Amino acid sequence: MSGTLTIALPSKGRMKDDAIAAFERAGLAVGTVGNDRSYRGRIVGMDDVEVAFLSASEIARELGTGAIDFGVTGEDLVRETLAQVEARTEFVARLGFGHADVVVAVPDIWQDVTTMADLGDVAADFRARHGRRLAIATKYWRLTQAFFSTRHGIQLYRIVESLGATEGAPASGAADIIVDITSTGATLAANHLRVLSDGIILKSEACLMRARKPGHDGDHRVRAIAAAIRGI
Amino acid sequence: MTEAGLPVFAADLTAALLATGAMIVDIPIIQPAEPFLDMAGEDLRRRIFLTESETGESLCLRPEFTIPVCRAHIAEGLATPRRYAYLGQVFRQRRDSANEFYQAGIEDLGEADLALADARAMAQALALINDLLPQSALRLTMGDQGVFEAVVAGLGLPAGWQKRLIHAFGNAKALDEMIARLAQPFEPTETHPAISAMVAARDEPGLAAHIAEHMEATGYSTHASRTPEDIARRLIEKRHLEATRLSDTALSALRRFLALEAPLDRAQATMSDFADGEGLDIKTAVAAFGARVAAVRATGADPATIAWRAAFGRPLDYYTGLVFEIAAGDGAVLAGGGRYDRMMTLLGAREPIPAVGFSLWLDRIGMLRTAP
Repeated sequence: MSGTLTIALPSKGRMKDDAIAAFERAGLAVGTVGNDRSYRGRIVGMDDVEVAFLSASEIARELGTGAIDFGVTGEDLVRETLAQVEARTEFVARLGFGHADVVVAVPDIWQDVTTMADLGDVAADFRARHGRRLAIATKYWRLTQAFFSTRHGIQLYRIVESLGATEGAPASGAADIIVDITSTGATLAANHLRVLSDGIILKSEACLMRARKPGHDGDHRVRAIAAAIRGI
Repeated sequence: MTEAGLPVFAADLTAALLATGAMIVDIPIIQPAEPFLDMAGEDLRRRIFLTESETGESLCLRPEFTIPVCRAHIAEGLATPRRYAYLGQVFRQRRDSANEFYQAGIEDLGEADLALADARAMAQALALINDLLPQSALRLTMGDQGVFEAVVAGLGLPAGWQKRLIHAFGNAKALDEMIARLAQPFEPTETHPAISAMVAARDEPGLAAHIAEHMEATGYSTHASRTPEDIARRLIEKRHLEATRLSDTALSALRRFLALEAPLDRAQATMSDFADGEGLDIKTAVAAFGARVAAVRATGADPATIAWRAAFGRPLDYYTGLVFEIAAGDGAVLAGGGRYDRMMTLLGAREPIPAVGFSLWLDRIGMLRTAP
């Protein structure tokens, strides 16, 4: 057994409340240290376990560096942030909240494009017709590349980095199509975008993740936390 | 720590490259990243070393030589034919081996005699490696996209399907999936009812007008991306594709063709027998293939020692004909090459310039030289 274990939970919003509720259902009550705006907490009854409240994307990153032991964050962020995610982390449990799909969406008026194969055709011809590659607006570089290149053999496109209001990119001319997250589809519809029939890259939800660290082998606290959350 | 600097055989190799009559060029290590990403696709992004200039331009450490050599040629506007040689470090993110390693090679630009240039590229790659590894058994494997294109055209598929298959050539998995889909009846695409009616009536102008109206109403530009005409044309083309199902005979012919392989001296006969058996006319492609075999023979190389595989290709849109690689007995690829006639115009050349080239993996060659 070694040192203090750190569990990172989302620092704000619905994700924070849902994560704390999930821990409580598992019998792991989260107590705050100082006032309730504090970014540090603890698990009631476990002295050598601390809770850090971090942004969801920071949690994904810190799982990769091993600076934290456990973290609750979206699967989309973990898969986007970390290469070799299975080797570096363990998906301990899916928590049933924070549902969102990462999808490929095209302008609805592209009535001829309903599948990734259609998109492959369009991408193959794009350069000849428009003098440039098909442009995809997204903040999900890694997921987009894996889905387009590895899964569907589509190489001929360019990613245009988009850190906000991605759904507006096709109408504004900043990109041709998008890869983005959606929960109800309302924002996509409002922007006259349509998800391809086989265009769901990932059905994401909040997960309890563990950074794979050698010190965890045989650590009863690690086993206990994982078992408690799995048992919800 | 490894030995610093150039491979020990670099001086000999440079002399050998010069002796081929090629001009040795010096290519800066720091390159604009755009042309590489544009040619090879986004997937390259995670395999190169990227940075940004102060002004925001994407720069990378040279991941290969062909594109910068071609760009330098276009920038200087030199006359062709011309052959360029290079030897230097390339930088790629690799999980299983070093991130920086040496490559050398030749790019042959503007030679109008395609068969001669193809044969010369293969023969020179082989000779250069032979000099460096006189004891090793080398295996040269080659393929030709032109023959595949002829077979696909001969099967009488609609142009859209031909394009899809040609695009997947060289990617066995994608090609298999494509062929499997060709064997299935298609679900017709669901579209807006007004559009479906116009597609059924093949009313392309009407469709384009309807689409343009819809785009304007929803705030989409009609010229920034795909135009109403593009979409209308493809809607009609796609309806045609959906109506196509490859006959079982054609399907098995395509599969049989992709399974063909033969030593190069018997490749022509093998593909001709196949075409006769299937009743396909691929004579033009076979003749071009034969001219290349004759040119290989003229270089002094023995075609019987070269393997032809019908399915051997590279799924990049600028490769157009010959593709080859040279492997050691243990399977390690020591050289790769091919014809990329489409690249020069994609990179901005005003006239089409035929081009063929190869590069040698000097780290792998060096390892074999020191292996016991």
